[in-house]
Amino acid sequence: MSDTRGLTEAQQETLTAVLDCLIPPDPATGKPGAGELGLAAYVTERLGQAVSALVPGLTALDTRATSSGSGRFAELAPEHRSETLEAYAADDPGFLPGLLFHVYCGYYQQAEVLEGLGMEGRPPHPKGYELGPDDPSLLDPVRARGAVYRRA
Amino acid sequence: MSEDAVDVAIIGAGPAGATIAWSLAETRMKIVCLEQGDWMNPAEYPTTRMDWEMRRFGDYSLSPNSRGLDSDYPINDDDSPIKISNYNAVGGSTVLYAAHYPRFHPSDFRVKSLDGVGEDWPIDYATLEPYYAQNDEIMGVAGLAGDPAYPPKDVPLPPVPLGRLGRALGRGFNELGWHWWHSDSAIATREHGGRAPCINLGPCIMGCAQGAKGSADVTYWPLATRQGVEVRTRARVSRITVDENGLANGVVYFDAEGAERRLRAEIVIVACNGVGTPRLLLNSACEQFPDGLANRSGLVGRNFMFHPYAMVNGLFDDPLEGYKGPAGCGIISQEFYETDADRDFLRGYTFETLRGMTPVSTALWAMGDGRLPWGAGHHRTFEQLFDRTAGLVAICEDLPEEHNRVTLDPDLTDRHGIPSPKIDYTLSDNSRRMLDHAVARGVEVLRAAGARETFADAPLPPAGWHLMGTARMGLDPETSVVDSWGRCHDVRNLFVVDGSIFVTSAGVNPTNTIQALSLYIGDKIKKNLTNLLD
Repeated sequence: MSDTRGLTEAQQETLTAVLDCLIPPDPATGKPGAGELGLAAYVTERLGQAVSALVPGLTALDTRATSSGSGRFAELAPEHRSETLEAYAADDPGFLPGLLFHVYCGYYQQAEVLEGLGMEGRPPHPKGYELGPDDPSLLDPVRARGAVYRRA
Repeated sequence: MSEDAVDVAIIGAGPAGATIAWSLAETRMKIVCLEQGDWMNPAEYPTTRMDWEMRRFGDYSLSPNSRGLDSDYPINDDDSPIKISNYNAVGGSTVLYAAHYPRFHPSDFRVKSLDGVGEDWPIDYATLEPYYAQNDEIMGVAGLAGDPAYPPKDVPLPPVPLGRLGRALGRGFNELGWHWWHSDSAIATREHGGRAPCINLGPCIMGCAQGAKGSADVTYWPLATRQGVEVRTRARVSRITVDENGLANGVVYFDAEGAERRLRAEIVIVACNGVGTPRLLLNSACEQFPDGLANRSGLVGRNFMFHPYAMVNGLFDDPLEGYKGPAGCGIISQEFYETDADRDFLRGYTFETLRGMTPVSTALWAMGDGRLPWGAGHHRTFEQLFDRTAGLVAICEDLPEEHNRVTLDPDLTDRHGIPSPKIDYTLSDNSRRMLDHAVARGVEVLRAAGARETFADAPLPPAGWHLMGTARMGLDPETSVVDSWGRCHDVRNLFVVDGSIFVTSAGVNPTNTIQALSLYIGDKIKKNLTNLLD
């Protein structure tokens, strides 16, 4: 995943930090954060030309972080990143929804994430899945009612 | 324009075209099927890749307008609350169908006599029964004999497993004392007809990489082509032509290179579905048939029916293993199928249970619903939602209404310049009341099964995959387009074999009945071959 569609290196770093903010690592299950999974390239590829719409937001996040005296957005402590992002998203309600769609789509198709959910980190085919045996007696009450179709 | 000649030209290689091609193959007539799509390669189906869930937003979308593949044609469905879903390839929409495979009921053929609505069919359940049985065997239907909602019938293969999710829902139906049964599914639950057994991949509606699902490209087409039927792919028919006597004498089509070609034929069979068939007949207007071919009744394109769908999902406390197993096949309930005078609607619906949402689906649903936060609470919330959903859909019987129709769009065309279809459809009051009833009962059964929360959507906008009624059967040429065996009243060597010929929609998935009708019509053609044009 190396397609960053013309984002500058600084913008890529900011985007990665935003992604880790949206889906942070989950130490309890071993799921990585969305940024550390490298989803920035996935997101920019999926956005295509529309990636340019992200740039004002990424720039604004850096500006807000810098003005707080703590360096760029990516350099903020995780809790401060969330506060900054939340505040910006409130001012620019169009920034997150389109981004979240691609982040969620990209994140929940990663093997490490599926494993963190208790699944196997693989596509369904070719291994498939086992389902346990059914209980035929469950249908006994239905059989006991007899035919229910309308004779015509 | 280059041309060649055959005995029979079939237009459309979906389930109807495949079935009648196989049926007629034994005659040793020269048969060519023209298909605008291509052969599918199951090894390339989405479930072979990690990004499989995303493909439903692109090349495996159910909507031809979203896919926009070369094999697709655009459809103007702006004036319909239900949007068209289909697939254009060898196998047609069975490539992406869920493989739910119920039969119609005896009462479905006599709705006018029984309930005073719609029209009676010119044939009955007993007429189709042997063809249903033959089709069940060839398609490889899994299920359980003894369903009390049907007359006795055999089922060739053992049922699709219910899994933990299905068993929970079954207990919910039992709690309420409602009918339920293993659904009839065109899924090879053991090796059948050279198809590998189902391994519970899940998303049958994105193509079956295992080849277990009974789509027409892996069932009838191998049998038909082995007997000499030719399938000409990437061949889009623009019009059917007629001779000076008003008989069909062939078709004009665009080949894979975009060149216009002519195929002369003694018999023409249209199998393009309830939207594609009226589109083609209307596009075939000519001097003898100025209002469209076979349209002297004015009914080509009218009486268009969907199945309005209601979907109800439930959120459960415990994991359900809902991502395992055929997504749409498990349980069927026909507790509310037949007309009941105590309800405020006529006719009825079928409940079909759904497996649970997969990871991406869970995230997108929860995001759209505003219940999945980003940031610190994301993982905890997601884990409380994922694999905790189960649902069901209600397939409501739609009634024929002339104002619901398919016409030709005055502006929109496909990439060959052929006018596209336009859909005008409104939901009837009867359907609205039926949907309301289905949502209320769906909530009830999910609660009985243990759901702590439910959420519903009706009518389900993208559920326009059952396309029926636009060239309907009947004995009277004034009130129908084809006769009781699919022959156009106006053109004696022109047949229609898809869902267009349905008189009413019933409250079940149509594919089994479409294919049983194709076998029936195939037999009728064979029996009448020597005097077909008399």
